[in-house]
Formats: sequence, structure tokens, C-alpha cells
Amino acid sequence: MAEGKKPRSLATQAAAKIAKFVRGNMSATLKAKEEGKKVAYAYINDGQDEIMRAMDIVPAWGESFAGVCAAKRDAEKYLQKAEADNFSRSLCTYATCTIGFDMWREELGGQTPPDAPWGGMARPDMIIGSAQQLCDPRFKWPQATQHYLQDVPVFVGNMYYPPWDPNRNHHEQEAIYVKYAKAELLELVRFCEKHTGKKMDWDRLAGLVDLTEKTWNLFIDTYELRKAIPTPMDTGDAMNTMVPITFNLATQDAYDYYKDLNDELILKNEKKQGVIENEKYRLLWGAGLPSWFALGDFQYFNDKGAVFPAEVTYRNAEKIERLDLPATNDPLERIAWRWVRFWTHWYDKARKRPGSSPKVERIIEYIEDYKCDGVVFHSAFSCRSWHAGIIHQAEILRKVYGDIPILIMEGDIVDISSYNEVDTHNRIDAFIETVDAYKRKGN
Amino acid sequence: MTQSENGNGLVLAEKYYSQYGSRARELKAAGRKVIGYLTALGPVEIMTAAGVVSLRLKGNVSEAITKGDAYMETIVCPFVRNVFDAAVKGRYDFLDGMVLPHQCDSIDRTDDVWSDTLKLPYWHFLNVPHVTDEPSVEFMKDILRIFIQTLEEFTGEKITDEAIARAVTAHNENRRFMRELYALRITDPPLISGAEMMKVLVAAMSLPVDESSALIKGVTDEIKHREMPPSTEQGRRIMLVGDQVDDVAIIEAIEGAGGRLVMDDLSIGSKMYWNDVDATPDPIQGIAERYLRKLKLPTTFVGTGNNYQETLEARFGHMKQYIEEFKVDGVILFVYKFCDPYGFEVPAIRNFIESAGTPVLYLEDEYSISTLARLKTRIEAFLEMIA
Amino acid sequence: MERYYAGIDIGSTMTKAVIVGETIVASVIGPTGPEHRKLADKVMEKALNQAGLRFEDVTYIVSTGYGRVNVPFADRQVTEITCHAKGLHSLLPTVKTIIDIGGQDSKGIKIDGGKVTSFVMNDKCAAGTGRFLEVIAETLGVPLEKLGEVSLSAESPAAISNTCTVFAEHEVINKLSTGEKITNLVAGVHDAVATRVYALVKKLNVEPDIAITGGGAKNVGLVKALEGKFGCALLVPPEPLITGALGAALVGKERYEHALGSGQTLTRSGQGLQEARLFS
Repeated sequence: MAEGKKPRSLATQAAAKIAKFVRGNMSATLKAKEEGKKVAYAYINDGQDEIMRAMDIVPAWGESFAGVCAAKRDAEKYLQKAEADNFSRSLCTYATCTIGFDMWREELGGQTPPDAPWGGMARPDMIIGSAQQLCDPRFKWPQATQHYLQDVPVFVGNMYYPPWDPNRNHHEQEAIYVKYAKAELLELVRFCEKHTGKKMDWDRLAGLVDLTEKTWNLFIDTYELRKAIPTPMDTGDAMNTMVPITFNLATQDAYDYYKDLNDELILKNEKKQGVIENEKYRLLWGAGLPSWFALGDFQYFNDKGAVFPAEVTYRNAEKIERLDLPATNDPLERIAWRWVRFWTHWYDKARKRPGSSPKVERIIEYIEDYKCDGVVFHSAFSCRSWHAGIIHQAEILRKVYGDIPILIMEGDIVDISSYNEVDTHNRIDAFIETVDAYKRKGN
Repeated sequence: MTQSENGNGLVLAEKYYSQYGSRARELKAAGRKVIGYLTALGPVEIMTAAGVVSLRLKGNVSEAITKGDAYMETIVCPFVRNVFDAAVKGRYDFLDGMVLPHQCDSIDRTDDVWSDTLKLPYWHFLNVPHVTDEPSVEFMKDILRIFIQTLEEFTGEKITDEAIARAVTAHNENRRFMRELYALRITDPPLISGAEMMKVLVAAMSLPVDESSALIKGVTDEIKHREMPPSTEQGRRIMLVGDQVDDVAIIEAIEGAGGRLVMDDLSIGSKMYWNDVDATPDPIQGIAERYLRKLKLPTTFVGTGNNYQETLEARFGHMKQYIEEFKVDGVILFVYKFCDPYGFEVPAIRNFIESAGTPVLYLEDEYSISTLARLKTRIEAFLEMIA
Repeated sequence: MERYYAGIDIGSTMTKAVIVGETIVASVIGPTGPEHRKLADKVMEKALNQAGLRFEDVTYIVSTGYGRVNVPFADRQVTEITCHAKGLHSLLPTVKTIIDIGGQDSKGIKIDGGKVTSFVMNDKCAAGTGRFLEVIAETLGVPLEKLGEVSLSAESPAAISNTCTVFAEHEVINKLSTGEKITNLVAGVHDAVATRVYALVKKLNVEPDIAITGGGAKNVGLVKALEGKFGCALLVPPEPLITGALGAALVGKERYEHALGSGQTLTRSGQGLQEARLFS
């Protein structure tokens, strides 16, 4: 997603390779037909990656496609298409952008609409949604798409995790959640078997679960190299390097990618080569999806001497040992435990600090580990899942951690129509001045 | 209660509508515990069985949000924001606790905003699943049991299966009474206006089940023998579809322009009353199945058909039945801004109803009357269009 | 005896009155002020003078537009959606889709033989309405009525990405300061309005012929930009501001004649023109 209108100079070689990676994912969907493989519309972080890959199903990611459209500032035509059939402009714009593209392709009798960014995505053979507690669109979007692709079968499974309640020990509920998630993953396996005509190779699946766990570990080891001062890579790059862990999980390519990035960051750290020459302020990207059409704003921060050594967004992995997963040979159960524990593994820590919450505990951990001077949140108007509750996170952070400069930016992920560059830059300027004042006061 | 038996049902409904929650406040003063809840997913049977007064929360469309926005983003569902604002302002300061069912992101992601801000003695997030397959029903039973356990801890009293079974019977009876009242809308003109009906629906959800049933029955008895003047001008018969519409403002806009609201598919209306809980040996089974499989909410994924058309029937077929049974001439689909669950099905619902020959007016708006003047023109134009 | 019917359309910026007999016998346009009632009376009186009629000579009066409830002498209120359809159909019978761009709202109407089959309205924000153009005209110091012409002389329209009026105003100022030509900015703004209107009207199953009414129809730049989006020429009625009032008069006529056909006589129920007389 590096191909914005205002290309940002990327700090790492690895991040620069991402455009090719994304393009590869999109063209894989177009080539799948020739290779006799099935294509599925899929949604990130749903715990379904290993199963799809084990069944040789090629995922087509709407979130990636819409992100590319946004980065190229070429999403409006699709958003309007969806709007013309009464999808509100306030709905998730990843979804409405992709649905607009789908509608257009159907109008053309299955031909890819002209000038589709990077060749577009293939018409899917199936849609695999999830009512995982990640967002509403991932169980609404599949059927909204099916309204235009009526012959395409839809699966929606569920994968929840125990809700945060400071007064209850969530471990007591874990078994219920794991049992349920495992049963739902099995439903997905049955659906995939039905629509590919193939049987699940359980050994292969177990191997892919191993690979995924290895990738999670390597990913975190690699990102932790960013603790160095100066940091060798910041969030501007991470919005690119998130691609393999997000869209290519359970593939050797993803693992190899982080191996390269790891080597590169070690080398940079040895040479004390930072993202910018004179690193003055270290910031945490506390929450929120970025405005894909305005990734240049990270450059703007850099130009002011600020870097982001860590971000909560797209760090959807954890060191496996930290999750303390119960031993089991059932690959579905392993997937279930891994995700349930991933979403809840800050609960214990949060319970120990009165008034805290898991999301804030995670932020505090990163502030401390990565030595951050301030926190930036981004609120995208079309996405409630990520962006409702940010004000509260900021409030708790101030209460339980102490006074720290916080900036909440406003924009959207895909829809550029309410983005105001001048205003955004003004806010960043004011924020940097605040961070600077805090630093002086502290010294 | 006695008042309603004396033929003052509508007066009582008006009172509970305009002083929302006043009965719960009285009961609290008399020593009862009051639990507030959001949405049609609140399992009232279990709250009744626990001996607490359950109160479905509503906001006030006439009141601007003045305090809530300091805590909660404006991209959150306008209904949720408005109720939260009312709670922050102390409108529900008599609550002992709340249960937030997992209906949508706007609720899920603001659970801790509510609980940390209101700081009530009892709090529970009921993690209702979005799918309806067999493992989901089992899971729903599990989380209902957790809910029961937390209520037991809070009240200090065991909730027996017998008490739950009794509550199931009482709530089923309540639903049947309400359906009988709805039946009085089938005639032309209907015996009860849409605005009156709205007040009954709102009043009913603010009362303990026995009082609610008495109120509904009182209203039914009162209007059953009403003599309605034959309509001179043909009033078009309208069905209103949407989530929590809980004020007469939009209905008065419809009826003020000569339309007649004769049916709804609202989350405080027919959605609540059309499906009973089956009496099952394990009463939790019937409750789980009703909330997950029978209740037709856009937050529940239904993919049970063998093809798209069949799935549409499973999702929206009940609306076609209502159109036929209540002789509906036009449907108004009213969706709140920032609502992903409803928003994503607007094209499908419109298409489904219109292809069966009934025109649809789609309105997207806030939970506020500040925009009502703009809606009125659309509603009037729609009524002129289908005249 | 010839019967006369009057239609009065109180829009957000302009008030229009039309009287029809066998043909249009009067049509008057005046600005809408804060006091609708007084103005409605004045415009009505002007129309009566134009036609050489007395108030009592008018058989039936229908009011429309967003101020339609503030016309005490009207016998009936009908929305502008229905009236635009009726009025435009009488002028341009081949039209199936109407785009109306007013001062504070814009709308699309699908019609079949003068009857509305579906409609869409935008009134939530100024984007896609005359108000947007008004704000920008002021910012750029171009007289509103010249805006359309100016846009036609642009070499390449500037891209305006913000749809919020306030943001777009910032954007225009910003682009102006970086040396963008006024002509290109004006054209860019027209394109932005046309884009919003197109997105709105596309919700209807758009079929030609397409006509444009309201104040927006008088802006050649906007009409051209819209023609580009829809890919066909737009028909503009001779006086695009009066279709609503004309339609209102025709709705009254139809109603009256229909009642007559079924043996009833509709009596005038509205009040007289008192206030205007007090002040004239």
C-alpha cells in the first residue's frame, strides 16, 4: 500500500517490497482460475487462514483491495457505486468500496471494471465471513455482497472471546469459548470441503498451524528490534510490513519476509541507523486504522523529528510462549486457544491495576518498552469497531498511567471526502509542540 | 393496574410513555432491585425469574446530547449515544445495574465506557453470538448460565428452573396479549392509531411483566368496541421497519399527513412480540433458541436457505406476511446513521419488499427530532406517491 | 366561465406563484424572506395583478415547497416532489427523470406520465446544493450569477476532494494561495457539486429524457458538468424556477375537476389575503 499519491520515503528495504507483495496477492486471485483453485472473499484476523491455505483456497481480501484504492486515491468511484444502491456513506468504507467494485463487475458480466487498481480481484467462488468479535461488517458484508453475486455461497462462522470485566476471572470462561470456536472452525472445514470437493488434510493443517505460530514469534521478535534508539523502523513502514502477517498468514512467504526484515533491522541497529537522523520524539500509535490516502502524514511527523517505534494497530500477533497455550494435538483447538488467548492476554495484567483496562494496559506496556513520549490515536468515522471507545482509552490512560501528551486525529480509512490536510497538519504541529514542552519539563 | 381495568388503559400508557421509567423508580423506592438493559436481546425471562425489575432503556429524541459526547465518539450509533447521554445526566439514577447484550459494535465497543462512567453495583455484558447454528445455540446456553450466575451472586437468591419456567409462561402470555392488540389494527381504519400503539409499546417495556400484561389487556378491552368513523379520504396503510424507534414523533409525521401506521417490524414492536419461548425441559434451551433463532434482528446472521432467494425468505419473509395480513400499502424503512447491521441490508430489504409489489421509502436519520421537518417532506411525498 | 387555479411554491431562497387558466396566465418570482406569510401574500397579489384577476376569481390554491405550511390562504398543501413532477410533465412530456437543485436541497424524481414513481432528496448538508456554490462564490469574489460562465473558461478543473462545505472552502482558499487559477477552481467546484448530485440521483433508475429545474438549472457551468456525468444533454424548461408552482396549480386543477366529475364541489377553505393588504 505504499503507492500513495504522495509517496512516503520508506525507511526499510523490506517495506519497499510490499507493493509487489500486495500486487501478488491480488493477481493470485486472478490466476487461481487457470490453476484450478477456488477463490474466497476473506476478512483479516478471523482465525481462518490456516484452514483456507490447507484447502488451497486463494483468499481475496476486500480490506486490502479497498486500502489500495484508498492509497491511490481512487476509491470514490466504487464508493459512489455502492451509494447509488442506498448503502449509506456512514457504513464501513472497506466494505462499500469493495461492494461497489463487485456491483460494477457484475454489470460488465463478470469482466473486471476498467482501470481497476492493480488489476482488481477475481470474482470469488465463495465468501467466508466471520462473526468474530472484531467487527459487525465481517458478518454483514458477506451477505451484502451476495446480494449482487447471488450464486456465490456464503459462510459465516463465529469466534468470540470472553468479554473484559474487571470483577470476573475470565479464565473460568475460556473453556466455553474455546469449545465454541473449535466447533465453528470445524463448520468452516465442512463448508470448504463441500465447496472445493476436497477432504481436509489434517496433517497439512497441523503443519500450517506450526508455521503460523513460528511466524507470530518471528514477527514479534522482529518488531521488538524497534525498541532501539534511534528506532530503525516506524509505523509509517509498519503500515506496509503488516501485509504478510495480515494477508499471508500460514504461508512460507510470510515467514521468509519477516526473516529478511529481521536481518535488515539487526543490521540497522548495529549501525545505529534510525528512521530519521535526529530522533527527537518517540510516539506510540495507540489505536486506529490509518487513513490509507494520507500515509504521507507519517512523513510529516518524521519531518518534525517524531518517530513511531510501535503501534497497536496490525500488531495482531504475540509471542506464543506468552500466551501459555494448553497442550493439544488438535489443530482446530490450537487455533481456537491461540486467538482466545490473544484477545484476552492483557486481562490479568489489567486486573492488577485498579481502573485500568486491557487495551490501556497494552498501550502502557508499549509506552514503557518502546520509551514513548506521547500517544497518537486515529479515529476513522466509518469504522466503529476500531474507533468507538478511543476517547475512553485516552481517559483511562491519563488516569492510571499519568499525564502524557495524547493526540486524537480524525479521518477515515478509505473515504477522503472529510479529510482536511491543512487541519490535520495543524493539529500535528500543536501536538509536537506539546510533546516538546513535556520533554523539557521532564528534563 | 386497577386503573387499566377500569378502562383507563390508554391514559396509563400515556403516563408511562411520557414519564418513562417512573414505575421502575416507584418499585425501587419500595425496595425492589432494578436492572436496565438495552435492545431486544435482553433476556427478560431470566431477569423476571431473578425477581428484579427489568427496564428496557430508551433515550429521548427531543433532547440534544449535551454530556455523553465527552465520553463517547459521535461515530457510535445515535440511539446508543442518546441513551448513554440520558444515563450520564442521571435520568436512570435509580438503576441497581445494567445488562448490555452484545448486539452490535456500538454496544460491544462502548461496554466499558458505560460501566466505568455509570459505576453501577451490578454490570454484565451478555456475549450473544451473531450466528444461529447448533454450536451457537449451545454457546448461547452457556453464556445465559453465566448471566444467571452473576444475577444470583448479585441478589443472593438462587434462580430455579421452576422460576424460569414460570417467567417464560408469563412473558409468552404478555406476547400473546400484545398480538391480540395488534390484531385490532387489521381493520380499516384500525381501531388503534399508530401513535397510541407506540405509547403502549413503550409503556409495556417499562413495566414488570404482570403489570405490562394488565396494561395491554386494559387497552385492548378499552378499544375493542371503539366505533371508528368510516374514512372519507383513503388513508394509506403503512408499516414501519427499523430498530429502536421509541417515540411518536415520526409516527405523528406519518399520521399527520393522512397515512395510517398499521404494522411495524421494530425492535420494540412486533419483533418483541411475535415469537414465543418454547417451554423446553431445560428452560434455558427454549430461551436460547428464541433469542438466537426466532428473533429476527439484523445482528443475527441467517444463512439457512439453499440459495439466495430462500435465505431472503428466511431473513425477511415475515415482513411479507405482515404486509399481507395487515393490508399494508407502503413500507417506511427507517435506519439510524452509523448502523452497520441495518445499513448493509437496506438494498436487500428494499428489493425484497418492492419486488413483491409494495413501495418502500428508505430514510436514514439520527435519533433526534431536530431533523424531523426534513423527514416530513419525504414522508408526505411518499404518501402522495402511493395515493 | 374559465376557472383559475393558483400554485405557490415557497422555497428556501425564492418564492414563486403561478396562476393557470387554460394556459399560464401569471408567473411571479420573488425572494423568500424570514417572514413567509407576508411574502406569500405579496407574491400572490403580484400574480393576481399580472393576470388581471381578483383573489375571489381563483377557484383553488395549492401551496408547496418547504414553507408550504406558512401560506394561510392555500386550500391544500402538497409536497414539491409531486408538484415538480406534475409541472414539468406539462412542459416537457418526454421527461422521465427530474433533477432539481435548489438553494438548500437537491432532489431526483422519477416520473411516469406525470406521476412520481420514486424520489431521492439531499438536505442533510449543503454539498450538492446551491448553498455550496454560494459560499464558494463569496470566497472567490465571483458574483453568483457569473459563476457558471466563469467555469466554462477553465482549462482544467481543479480537484476538490472535500464534500463538506466548510472543508471545501478551506481547500479552495488553500489552492488559491498556491496559485491555482480562479477559473479552474470554479470549474472544480462545479464538478464537485455535480458529483454529489450525480451520486444522489443515481439511486434512482435514471432514464432519459432528463430535465433539470431549480436555481441550479440557470447555472450553465453546473448543467454542463452534470451533462458530463450523466452522459447526455439535460433539458431545461423555459423558466426552471416555476415548475413547482406550476405543478401546484395543476394539482389543484386536477383535484377540483376530479371532485366535480364525481359530483362534488370543493369549496375554498383557505383564508384571504389580509396581511398583505394591511401593508400595501
